[in-house]
Amino acid sequence: MKSLIGSVAVTLLFAPTVLGPVWAALGEPAASVERDRVIMKGQRQSRPGTGYTIDTISVAGIQVKEYVSPDGVVFAVVWTGTGAPDLQLLLGEYFEEYREGVNAARSHRPKIRKPFQLKSERLVVERGGHSRSLWGRAFLPAALPPGVTAEDIR
Amino acid sequence: MRWVAAVSLVVGLLAGCSNGDDDSNGSSSAGNVVPVSVGQSAVCRTINQLCAVITICQPGTSNCQTVPDVLVDNGSVGLRVFSSVLSTPLAQTVDAQGRAVGECTFFADGGTTWGPVQVADVVLGGEPAVRVPVQVIQSTFGGQSSSSNPCNDEVDIDPQAASFNGILGIGIFRQDCGLVCAVNSNNTLYFSCNGGSCTGVAVPLGDQVQNPVWLLPSNNNGIVITLPNVSAMGAPSVSGSLILGIGTAGNNSPPSGIPVVTTDENGFVTTVYKGRTFSQSIIDSGSNGLFFPDASLRQCAAPLDPFYCPPSAMNLAGTVIGTNGGQIVVPFQVANTENLVQTGNAAFNNLGGDFSIFDWGLPFFLGRTVFIGIEGQSSSLGTGPYFAF
Repeated sequence: MKSLIGSVAVTLLFAPTVLGPVWAALGEPAASVERDRVIMKGQRQSRPGTGYTIDTISVAGIQVKEYVSPDGVVFAVVWTGTGAPDLQLLLGEYFEEYREGVNAARSHRPKIRKPFQLKSERLVVERGGHSRSLWGRAFLPAALPPGVTAEDIR
Repeated sequence: MRWVAAVSLVVGLLAGCSNGDDDSNGSSSAGNVVPVSVGQSAVCRTINQLCAVITICQPGTSNCQTVPDVLVDNGSVGLRVFSSVLSTPLAQTVDAQGRAVGECTFFADGGTTWGPVQVADVVLGGEPAVRVPVQVIQSTFGGQSSSSNPCNDEVDIDPQAASFNGILGIGIFRQDCGLVCAVNSNNTLYFSCNGGSCTGVAVPLGDQVQNPVWLLPSNNNGIVITLPNVSAMGAPSVSGSLILGIGTAGNNSPPSGIPVVTTDENGFVTTVYKGRTFSQSIIDSGSNGLFFPDASLRQCAAPLDPFYCPPSAMNLAGTVIGTNGGQIVVPFQVANTENLVQTGNAAFNNLGGDFSIFDWGLPFFLGRTVFIGIEGQSSSLGTGPYFAF
Protein backbone atom coordinates (compact mmCIF):
# COMPACT_ATOMS: atom_id res chain seq x y z
CA MET A 1 0.00 0.00 0.00
CA LYS A 2 2.74 2.39 0.99
CA SER A 3 4.77 1.64 -2.12
CA LEU A 4 1.71 2.09 -4.30
CA ILE A 5 1.14 5.59 -2.93
CA GLY A 6 4.83 6.28 -3.40
CA SER A 7 4.80 5.34 -7.05
CA VAL A 8 1.66 7.34 -7.70
CA ALA A 9 3.28 10.36 -6.10
CA VAL A 10 6.46 9.93 -8.12
CA THR A 11 4.40 9.78 -11.30
CA LEU A 12 2.72 13.00 -10.24
CA LEU A 13 6.02 14.71 -9.68
CA PHE A 14 6.90 14.17 -13.28
CA ALA A 15 3.46 15.09 -14.56
CA PRO A 16 2.54 18.19 -12.57
CA THR A 17 -0.21 19.22 -14.96
CA VAL A 18 -2.42 16.37 -13.75
CA LEU A 19 -2.33 17.72 -10.19
CA GLY A 20 -5.82 18.64 -9.22
CA PRO A 21 -8.23 18.81 -6.37
CA VAL A 22 -8.24 15.02 -6.07
CA TRP A 23 -4.84 15.22 -4.35
CA ALA A 24 -5.82 17.83 -1.84
CA ALA A 25 -5.74 17.48 1.90
CA LEU A 26 -8.62 19.40 3.46
CA GLY A 27 -11.56 17.03 3.88
CA GLU A 28 -9.52 14.16 2.43
CA PRO A 29 -8.28 11.01 4.18
CA ALA A 30 -5.08 11.27 6.19
CA ALA A 31 -3.15 9.52 3.41
CA SER A 32 -3.32 12.74 1.40
CA VAL A 33 -0.89 14.34 3.87
CA GLU A 34 1.88 12.10 2.56
CA ARG A 35 0.96 12.99 -1.03
CA ASP A 36 1.19 16.67 -0.11
CA ARG A 37 4.58 16.10 1.47
CA VAL A 38 5.93 14.35 -1.61
CA ILE A 39 4.58 17.00 -3.98
CA MET A 40 5.95 19.79 -1.76
CA LYS A 41 9.25 17.89 -1.40
CA GLY A 42 9.08 18.62 2.32
CA GLN A 43 9.99 16.99 5.63
CA ARG A 44 7.18 15.46 7.67
CA GLN A 45 6.64 15.03 11.36
CA SER A 46 3.62 13.77 13.32
CA ARG A 47 2.57 14.53 16.86
CA PRO A 48 -0.61 13.70 18.73
CA GLY A 49 -2.84 16.51 19.98
CA THR A 50 -5.87 16.24 22.24
CA GLY A 51 -8.38 14.32 20.17
CA TYR A 52 -6.49 14.69 16.92
CA THR A 53 -3.08 14.34 15.28
CA ILE A 54 -1.01 17.11 13.72
CA ASP A 55 1.12 16.28 10.70
CA THR A 56 3.69 18.95 9.96
CA ILE A 57 5.30 19.38 6.53
CA SER A 58 8.28 21.78 6.40
CA VAL A 59 9.89 23.10 3.24
CA ALA A 60 11.86 26.23 2.32
CA GLY A 61 10.68 28.52 5.10
CA ILE A 62 7.08 27.31 5.00
CA GLN A 63 5.48 25.06 7.58
CA VAL A 64 2.16 23.34 6.86
CA LYS A 65 0.26 21.67 9.67
CA GLU A 66 -2.52 19.26 8.75
CA TYR A 67 -4.95 18.35 11.53
CA VAL A 68 -6.21 14.76 11.30
CA SER A 69 -9.29 13.65 13.22
CA PRO A 70 -9.53 10.28 15.02
CA ASP A 71 -11.53 8.93 12.06
CA GLY A 72 -8.69 9.80 9.72
CA VAL A 73 -9.93 12.93 7.96
CA VAL A 74 -7.95 16.17 7.54
CA PHE A 75 -10.26 18.74 9.13
CA ALA A 76 -7.88 21.72 9.24
CA VAL A 77 -4.76 23.07 7.57
CA VAL A 78 -2.52 25.80 9.01
CA TRP A 79 0.43 27.36 7.21
CA THR A 80 3.09 29.87 8.27
CA GLY A 81 6.22 31.18 6.60
CA THR A 82 7.92 33.64 4.33
CA GLY A 83 6.02 32.43 1.29
CA ALA A 84 2.71 30.72 0.61
CA PRO A 85 2.01 27.05 -0.06
CA ASP A 86 0.02 25.86 -3.07
CA LEU A 87 -3.47 26.32 -1.71
CA GLN A 88 -5.00 24.42 -4.59
CA LEU A 89 -3.13 21.41 -3.26
CA LEU A 90 -4.01 21.99 0.39
CA LEU A 91 -7.62 23.14 0.02
CA GLY A 92 -8.57 20.67 -2.70
CA GLU A 93 -12.27 20.61 -3.39
CA TYR A 94 -12.62 23.74 -1.25
CA PHE A 95 -10.15 25.74 -3.32
CA GLU A 96 -12.75 27.18 -5.72
CA GLU A 97 -14.82 28.41 -2.79
CA TYR A 98 -11.71 30.08 -1.38
CA ARG A 99 -10.85 31.62 -4.74
CA GLU A 100 -14.35 33.03 -5.10
CA GLY A 101 -13.98 34.45 -1.59
CA VAL A 102 -10.71 36.16 -2.50
CA ASN A 103 -12.23 37.63 -5.65
CA ALA A 104 -15.27 38.84 -3.70
CA ALA A 105 -12.98 40.51 -1.13
CA ARG A 106 -10.93 42.05 -3.91
CA SER A 107 -13.94 43.61 -5.64
CA HIS A 108 -15.72 44.50 -2.40
CA ARG A 109 -16.86 48.14 -2.22
CA PRO A 110 -16.24 49.96 -0.01
CA LYS A 111 -12.79 48.43 -0.30
CA ILE A 112 -11.59 46.78 2.86
CA ARG A 113 -7.95 46.37 3.79
CA LYS A 114 -7.97 43.70 6.40
CA PRO A 115 -6.61 40.20 6.81
CA PHE A 116 -8.55 37.87 4.52
CA GLN A 117 -11.44 35.99 6.05
CA LEU A 118 -13.97 33.61 4.51
CA LYS A 119 -16.45 32.37 7.07
CA SER A 120 -19.33 30.05 6.30
CA GLU A 121 -20.89 27.08 8.07
CA ARG A 122 -19.06 24.84 5.63
CA LEU A 123 -15.63 26.43 5.42
CA VAL A 124 -13.43 28.96 7.23
CA VAL A 125 -10.30 30.32 5.55
CA GLU A 126 -8.15 33.11 6.97
CA ARG A 127 -4.88 34.72 5.93
CA GLY A 128 -2.85 37.17 7.96
CA GLY A 129 0.58 38.37 8.99
CA HIS A 130 2.98 40.54 7.02
CA SER A 131 6.16 40.36 4.91
CA ARG A 132 8.46 37.56 6.21
CA SER A 133 5.72 36.06 8.37
CA LEU A 134 2.60 35.15 6.51
CA TRP A 135 0.09 32.72 7.92
CA GLY A 136 -3.19 31.17 7.02
CA ARG A 137 -5.59 28.57 8.22
CA ALA A 138 -8.51 26.66 6.77
CA PHE A 139 -10.89 24.37 8.57
CA LEU A 140 -14.22 22.64 8.19
CA PRO A 141 -16.36 23.78 11.15
CA ALA A 142 -18.69 20.77 10.88
CA ALA A 143 -15.76 18.33 10.91
CA LEU A 144 -14.05 19.53 14.11
CA PRO A 145 -13.68 16.58 16.49
CA PRO A 146 -15.58 16.87 19.81
CA GLY A 147 -13.90 19.35 22.15
CA VAL A 148 -11.83 21.03 19.41
CA THR A 149 -12.51 24.73 18.81
CA ALA A 150 -11.35 27.24 16.22
CA GLU A 151 -8.85 28.57 18.79
CA ASP A 152 -7.06 25.20 18.78
CA ILE A 153 -6.24 25.60 15.10
CA ARG A 154 -3.16 27.82 15.06
CA MET B 1 -5.88 74.42 -1.83
CA ARG B 2 -5.31 70.73 -2.16
CA TRP B 3 -4.09 71.24 -5.72
CA VAL B 4 -1.60 73.89 -4.65
CA ALA B 5 -0.28 71.64 -1.93
CA ALA B 6 0.19 68.81 -4.41
CA VAL B 7 2.09 70.99 -6.87
CA SER B 8 4.50 72.31 -4.24
CA LEU B 9 5.05 68.76 -3.05
CA VAL B 10 5.98 67.60 -6.54
CA VAL B 11 8.37 70.51 -7.00
CA GLY B 12 9.99 69.69 -3.68
CA LEU B 13 10.43 66.06 -4.64
CA LEU B 14 11.91 66.91 -8.02
CA ALA B 15 14.35 69.22 -6.28
CA GLY B 16 15.25 66.35 -3.99
CA CYS B 17 15.92 64.14 -6.97
CA SER B 18 18.17 66.48 -8.90
CA ASN B 19 19.96 67.89 -5.86
CA GLY B 20 20.49 64.57 -4.15
CA ASP B 21 24.26 64.73 -4.49
CA ASP B 22 24.46 68.14 -2.82
CA ASP B 23 22.62 67.05 0.29
CA SER B 24 24.97 64.49 1.79
CA ASN B 25 24.92 65.80 5.35
CA GLY B 26 21.49 67.28 5.56
CA SER B 27 19.96 64.91 8.07
CA SER B 28 18.99 67.70 10.44
CA SER B 29 16.84 69.42 7.83
CA ALA B 30 13.26 68.51 7.19
CA GLY B 31 14.51 66.50 4.23
CA ASN B 32 13.66 63.40 6.24
CA VAL B 33 9.93 64.04 5.99
CA VAL B 34 7.59 62.39 3.52
CA PRO B 35 4.13 64.00 3.65
CA VAL B 36 1.37 61.39 3.99
CA SER B 37 -2.39 61.75 3.82
CA VAL B 38 -5.76 60.04 3.89
CA GLY B 39 -8.65 61.08 1.67
CA GLN B 40 -6.85 63.44 -0.70
CA SER B 41 -6.78 61.53 -3.94
CA ALA B 42 -8.88 59.81 -6.57
CA VAL B 43 -6.87 56.60 -6.80
CA CYS B 44 -5.92 56.17 -3.16
CA ARG B 45 -9.55 56.45 -2.14
CA THR B 46 -10.30 53.76 0.42
CA ILE B 47 -11.39 54.79 3.88
CA ASN B 48 -8.36 55.06 6.19
CA GLN B 49 -5.93 54.46 3.32
CA LEU B 50 -2.65 56.26 4.04
CA CYS B 51 -0.77 57.35 0.93
CA ALA B 52 2.28 59.31 -0.14
CA VAL B 53 4.11 60.55 -3.23
CA ILE B 54 7.50 59.05 -3.99
CA THR B 55 10.06 59.76 -6.67
CA ILE B 56 11.58 56.99 -8.74
CA CYS B 57 14.55 57.41 -11.08
CA GLN B 58 16.38 55.41 -13.69
CA PRO B 59 19.48 54.23 -11.79
CA GLY B 60 22.41 56.63 -12.01
CA THR B 61 20.52 59.26 -13.95
CA SER B 62 18.38 62.31 -13.29
CA ASN B 63 15.61 60.72 -15.34
CA CYS B 64 13.01 60.76 -12.59
CA GLN B 65 9.27 60.75 -12.15
CA THR B 66 6.97 61.18 -9.20
CA VAL B 67 4.47 58.47 -8.36
CA PRO B 68 1.48 59.66 -6.33
CA ASP B 69 -1.03 57.44 -4.52
CA VAL B 70 1.48 55.04 -3.03
CA LEU B 71 0.12 53.12 -0.03
CA VAL B 72 2.23 53.68 3.09
CA ASP B 73 2.41 50.21 4.59
CA ASN B 74 4.54 49.22 7.55
CA GLY B 75 3.09 45.70 7.18
CA SER B 76 5.14 44.96 4.08
CA VAL B 77 8.72 45.47 2.98
CA GLY B 78 9.85 47.10 -0.25
CA LEU B 79 8.55 49.47 -2.89
CA ARG B 80 6.14 48.05 -5.49
CA VAL B 81 4.81 50.14 -8.37
CA PHE B 82 2.43 49.28 -11.20
CA SER B 83 4.21 49.17 -14.55
CA SER B 84 1.32 51.14 -16.10
CA VAL B 85 2.26 54.26 -14.10
CA LEU B 86 6.00 53.98 -14.75
CA SER B 87 7.44 56.01 -17.59
CA THR B 88 10.99 55.67 -16.28
CA PRO B 89 13.08 52.69 -17.40
CA LEU B 90 14.56 50.67 -14.54
CA ALA B 91 17.27 47.99 -14.51
CA GLN B 92 16.04 44.39 -14.63
CA THR B 93 17.50 41.98 -12.06
CA VAL B 94 18.70 38.66 -13.47
CA ASP B 95 19.75 35.32 -12.00
CA ALA B 96 23.11 33.58 -12.52
CA GLN B 97 21.93 32.34 -15.93
CA GLY B 98 20.91 35.82 -17.03
CA ARG B 99 17.17 35.10 -16.76
CA ALA B 100 14.89 37.93 -15.60
CA VAL B 101 13.84 37.65 -11.97
CA GLY B 102 10.21 38.19 -10.93
CA GLU B 103 8.37 37.95 -7.67
CA CYS B 104 5.06 36.90 -6.19
CA THR B 105 4.15 39.00 -3.19
CA PHE B 106 1.40 37.79 -0.91
CA PHE B 107 -0.55 40.20 1.24
CA ALA B 108 -2.63 39.42 4.28
CA ASP B 109 -5.80 40.72 2.64
CA GLY B 110 -5.60 37.92 0.07
CA GLY B 111 -4.13 40.20 -2.58
CA THR B 112 -1.13 39.09 -4.60
CA THR B 113 1.21 41.03 -6.87
CA TRP B 114 3.38 39.57 -9.64
CA GLY B 115 6.04 41.28 -11.70
CA PRO B 116 9.73 41.79 -12.38
CA VAL B 117 12.29 42.79 -9.77
CA GLN B 118 14.09 45.89 -11.05
CA VAL B 119 16.63 48.27 -9.57
CA ALA B 120 15.63 51.91 -9.16
CA ASP B 121 16.96 55.02 -7.51
CA VAL B 122 14.22 55.90 -5.06
CA VAL B 123 13.85 59.29 -3.42
CA LEU B 124 11.92 59.58 -0.16
CA GLY B 125 11.14 63.16 0.82
CA GLY B 126 14.30 65.26 0.54
CA GLU B 127 16.68 62.37 1.23
CA PRO B 128 19.41 61.41 -1.22
CA ALA B 129 18.32 58.76 -3.70
CA VAL B 130 18.88 55.14 -2.66
CA ARG B 131 19.55 52.42 -5.20
CA VAL B 132 17.20 49.56 -4.34
CA PRO B 133 15.51 46.55 -5.95
CA VAL B 134 11.77 47.16 -6.27
CA GLN B 135 8.91 45.14 -7.68
CA VAL B 136 7.25 46.39 -10.85
CA ILE B 137 3.67 45.10 -10.64
CA GLN B 138 2.88 43.59 -14.02
CA SER B 139 0.57 40.58 -14.33
CA THR B 140 1.87 39.69 -17.81
CA PHE B 141 5.57 39.58 -16.87
CA GLY B 142 7.37 36.43 -18.05
CA GLY B 143 4.52 35.44 -20.37
CA GLN B 144 2.15 34.99 -17.43
CA SER B 145 -1.37 36.31 -16.81
CA SER B 146 -3.52 37.49 -13.92
CA SER B 147 -5.07 34.04 -13.55
CA SER B 148 -2.17 31.83 -14.65
CA ASN B 149 1.12 32.62 -12.94
CA PRO B 150 3.57 31.13 -10.44
CA CYS B 151 1.70 32.70 -7.50
CA ASN B 152 -1.13 30.15 -7.76
CA ASP B 153 -3.58 32.99 -7.28
CA GLU B 154 -5.22 35.91 -9.03
CA VAL B 155 -2.79 38.82 -9.13
CA ASP B 156 -3.43 42.57 -9.22
CA ILE B 157 -3.83 43.98 -12.71
CA ASP B 158 -4.25 47.75 -12.45
CA PRO B 159 -4.12 50.71 -10.05
CA GLN B 160 -7.84 51.47 -10.26
CA ALA B 161 -8.85 48.01 -9.07
CA ALA B 162 -6.12 47.93 -6.45
CA SER B 163 -6.79 51.58 -5.46
CA PHE B 164 -3.11 52.43 -5.35
CA ASN B 165 -0.32 53.11 -7.83
CA GLY B 166 2.11 51.29 -5.62
CA ILE B 167 2.96 50.20 -2.10
CA LEU B 168 5.74 51.72 -0.02
CA GLY B 169 6.62 48.84 2.30
CA ILE B 170 8.52 50.42 5.18
CA GLY B 171 8.10 47.64 7.73
CA ILE B 172 10.46 46.33 10.38
CA PHE B 173 12.60 44.12 8.13
CA ARG B 174 15.42 44.95 5.74
CA GLN B 175 14.48 42.59 2.90
CA ASP B 176 11.04 41.24 2.07
CA CYS B 177 12.13 37.63 2.39
CA GLY B 178 15.59 37.33 3.91
CA LEU B 179 17.75 34.24 4.28
CA VAL B 180 15.04 31.78 3.28
CA CYS B 181 15.02 33.14 -0.26
CA ALA B 182 18.80 33.47 -0.38
CA VAL B 183 19.27 29.72 0.08
CA ASN B 184 16.09 28.05 -1.26
CA SER B 185 14.98 28.09 -4.87
CA ASN B 186 11.53 26.76 -3.92
CA ASN B 187 10.78 29.75 -1.68
CA THR B 188 7.47 30.46 -3.55
CA LEU B 189 8.31 34.18 -3.82
CA TYR B 190 11.14 34.59 -6.34
CA PHE B 191 11.14 33.12 -9.86
CA SER B 192 13.29 33.51 -12.93
CA CYS B 193 11.59 33.50 -16.29
CA ASN B 194 12.63 32.42 -19.74
CA GLY B 195 10.56 31.74 -22.84
CA GLY B 196 7.23 31.99 -21.08
CA SER B 197 8.14 29.67 -18.25
CA CYS B 198 9.08 30.71 -14.71
CA THR B 199 10.82 28.55 -12.11
CA GLY B 200 11.73 29.17 -8.49
CA VAL B 201 15.09 30.81 -7.87
CA ALA B 202 17.23 31.68 -4.86
CA VAL B 203 18.06 35.40 -4.71
CA PRO B 204 20.96 36.91 -2.71
CA LEU B 205 19.90 39.28 0.07
CA GLY B 206 21.17 42.34 -1.80
CA ASP B 207 19.07 41.52 -4.86
CA GLN B 208 15.86 41.00 -2.92
CA VAL B 209 13.16 43.66 -2.86
CA GLN B 210 13.90 45.69 0.22
CA ASN B 211 13.05 48.47 2.56
CA PRO B 212 14.55 51.66 1.05
CA VAL B 213 14.81 53.26 4.49
CA TRP B 214 17.58 51.05 5.84
CA LEU B 215 19.67 51.85 2.74
CA LEU B 216 19.64 55.60 3.38
CA PRO B 217 23.06 57.08 4.23
CA SER B 218 21.59 58.41 7.49
CA ASN B 219 18.13 58.40 9.07
CA ASN B 220 18.19 54.68 8.33
CA ASN B 221 17.38 53.06 11.66
CA GLY B 222 13.61 53.28 11.46
CA ILE B 223 10.64 55.49 10.79
CA VAL B 224 8.15 57.64 12.62
CA ILE B 225 4.54 57.89 11.51
CA THR B 226 2.73 60.85 13.01
CA LEU B 227 -0.88 61.68 12.24
CA PRO B 228 -3.37 64.11 13.79
CA ASN B 229 -6.47 62.82 15.52
CA VAL B 230 -9.98 63.16 14.14
CA SER B 231 -13.35 63.68 15.80
CA ALA B 232 -15.74 60.85 16.64
CA MET B 233 -17.47 61.20 13.27
CA GLY B 234 -14.19 61.26 11.36
CA ALA B 235 -12.69 63.80 8.99
CA PRO B 236 -12.79 64.21 5.20
CA SER B 237 -9.00 63.99 5.13
CA VAL B 238 -5.91 64.07 7.32
CA SER B 239 -2.35 65.05 6.60
CA GLY B 240 0.66 63.91 8.55
CA SER B 241 4.25 62.82 8.20
CA LEU B 242 6.34 59.77 7.59
CA ILE B 243 9.63 60.82 9.21
CA LEU B 244 12.79 58.90 8.37
CA GLY B 245 15.15 57.93 11.17
CA ILE B 246 14.69 57.67 14.92
CA GLY B 247 16.58 60.05 17.19
CA THR B 248 18.74 61.27 14.32
CA ALA B 249 17.23 64.74 13.98
CA GLY B 250 15.18 67.23 15.91
CA ASN B 251 11.96 66.04 14.31
CA ASN B 252 12.33 62.33 15.07
CA SER B 253 13.60 62.29 18.65
CA PRO B 254 11.54 60.06 20.91
CA PRO B 255 10.25 61.67 24.10
CA SER B 256 12.14 60.41 27.14
CA GLY B 257 10.52 57.47 28.85
CA ILE B 258 8.43 56.44 25.85
CA PRO B 259 7.56 52.73 26.27
CA VAL B 260 9.05 50.30 23.78
CA VAL B 261 7.66 46.92 22.72
CA THR B 262 10.05 44.69 20.82
CA THR B 263 8.53 42.20 18.40
CA ASP B 264 9.25 38.50 18.16
CA GLU B 265 11.42 37.20 15.32
CA ASN B 266 8.37 37.18 13.06
CA GLY B 267 7.58 40.82 13.73
CA PHE B 268 4.54 40.04 15.88
CA VAL B 269 3.52 41.55 19.20
CA THR B 270 1.07 40.14 21.72
CA THR B 271 -2.25 41.81 22.47
CA VAL B 272 -4.37 41.00 25.51
CA TYR B 273 -7.99 41.98 25.00
CA LYS B 274 -10.82 41.14 27.40
CA GLY B 275 -8.67 38.46 28.99
CA ARG B 276 -7.78 36.75 25.72
CA THR B 277 -4.20 36.68 24.47
CA PHE B 278 -3.40 37.12 20.77
CA SER B 279 0.25 36.36 20.12
CA GLN B 280 0.29 37.07 16.37
CA SER B 281 -0.88 40.67 16.66
CA ILE B 282 0.24 43.26 14.15
CA ILE B 283 0.49 47.04 14.09
CA ASP B 284 -0.17 47.81 10.44
CA SER B 285 -0.73 51.15 8.72
CA GLY B 286 -1.86 49.24 5.63
CA SER B 287 -4.97 47.85 7.37
CA ASN B 288 -7.87 50.27 7.31
CA GLY B 289 -9.53 49.34 10.59
CA LEU B 290 -8.99 47.82 14.00
CA PHE B 291 -9.66 44.12 13.47
CA PHE B 292 -10.15 41.76 16.39
CA PRO B 293 -12.64 39.18 17.64
CA ASP B 294 -15.44 40.22 19.97
CA ALA B 295 -18.68 38.26 19.77
CA SER B 296 -20.41 40.87 21.95
CA LEU B 297 -20.10 43.53 19.24
CA ARG B 298 -22.85 43.50 16.63
CA GLN B 299 -21.60 43.04 13.09
CA CYS B 300 -22.93 45.26 10.30
CA ALA B 301 -25.24 44.06 7.55
CA ALA B 302 -23.82 43.56 4.05
CA PRO B 303 -21.92 45.15 2.39
CA LEU B 304 -20.27 46.38 5.60
CA ASP B 305 -20.54 42.96 7.24
CA PRO B 306 -16.97 42.40 8.40
CA PHE B 307 -17.20 45.69 10.33
CA TYR B 308 -18.78 46.27 13.71
CA CYS B 309 -22.03 48.20 14.08
CA PRO B 310 -22.69 48.53 17.82
CA PRO B 311 -25.85 50.60 18.57
CA SER B 312 -23.64 53.15 20.34
CA ALA B 313 -19.89 53.72 20.38
CA MET B 314 -18.03 51.33 22.68
CA ASN B 315 -15.06 52.31 24.84
CA LEU B 316 -12.57 49.45 24.78
CA ALA B 317 -8.90 48.81 25.49
CA GLY B 318 -6.19 46.33 24.62
CA THR B 319 -2.73 45.84 26.04
CA VAL B 320 0.16 45.52 23.59
CA ILE B 321 3.02 43.42 24.98
CA GLY B 322 6.52 43.03 23.55
CA THR B 323 9.07 40.27 23.90
CA ASN B 324 11.06 42.71 26.09
CA GLY B 325 8.21 42.70 28.62
CA GLY B 326 7.15 46.19 27.59
CA GLN B 327 3.40 46.73 27.97
CA ILE B 328 1.31 49.56 26.63
CA VAL B 329 -2.42 49.94 27.31
CA VAL B 330 -4.22 51.23 24.23
CA PRO B 331 -7.70 52.63 24.83
CA PHE B 332 -9.84 52.81 21.71
CA GLN B 333 -13.38 53.24 20.51
CA VAL B 334 -15.46 51.26 18.08
CA ALA B 335 -18.41 53.17 16.60
CA ASN B 336 -21.28 52.12 14.36
CA THR B 337 -19.67 51.71 10.94
CA GLU B 338 -22.92 52.43 9.06
CA ASN B 339 -23.14 55.81 10.77
CA LEU B 340 -19.48 56.52 10.04
CA VAL B 341 -19.75 55.65 6.35
CA GLN B 342 -22.84 57.85 5.96
CA THR B 343 -20.76 60.92 6.82
CA GLY B 344 -18.82 60.51 3.59
CA ASN B 345 -15.63 61.10 5.56
CA ALA B 346 -12.41 59.22 4.81
CA ALA B 347 -10.52 59.06 8.11
CA PHE B 348 -11.92 57.41 11.23
CA ASN B 349 -10.24 56.49 14.52
CA ASN B 350 -13.09 54.24 15.62
CA LEU B 351 -13.59 51.87 12.69
CA GLY B 352 -13.50 48.26 13.85
CA GLY B 353 -14.25 44.84 12.43
CA ASP B 354 -14.02 41.14 13.06
CA PHE B 355 -10.92 38.99 12.70
CA SER B 356 -9.43 36.12 14.66
CA ILE B 357 -6.32 37.95 15.91
CA PHE B 358 -5.60 41.60 16.76
CA ASP B 359 -4.71 43.88 13.84
CA TRP B 360 -4.04 47.47 14.96
CA GLY B 361 -4.71 49.21 11.66
CA LEU B 362 -4.76 52.86 10.65
CA PRO B 363 -7.18 54.07 13.39
CA PHE B 364 -4.43 53.19 15.86
CA PHE B 365 -2.07 55.66 14.14
CA LEU B 366 -4.52 58.61 14.23
CA GLY B 367 -3.60 60.98 17.04
CA ARG B 368 -0.33 59.17 17.71
CA THR B 369 3.35 59.34 16.93
CA VAL B 370 4.57 55.79 16.37
CA PHE B 371 8.28 54.89 16.24
CA ILE B 372 9.06 51.76 14.22
CA GLY B 373 12.60 50.34 14.47
CA ILE B 374 14.08 48.29 11.61
CA GLU B 375 15.72 44.91 12.35
CA GLY B 376 19.38 45.15 13.30
CA GLN B 377 19.34 48.96 13.31
CA SER B 378 20.01 50.79 16.58
CA SER B 379 18.64 53.96 18.08
CA SER B 380 18.23 55.40 21.56
CA LEU B 381 15.18 53.12 21.83
CA GLY B 382 17.24 49.96 21.27
CA THR B 383 17.84 47.64 18.35
CA GLY B 384 14.98 46.82 15.97
CA PRO B 385 12.56 45.38 15.37
CA TYR B 386 10.42 47.31 17.85
CA PHE B 387 7.51 49.70 18.16
CA ALA B 388 7.36 52.64 20.56
CA PHE B 389 4.39 54.93 21.04
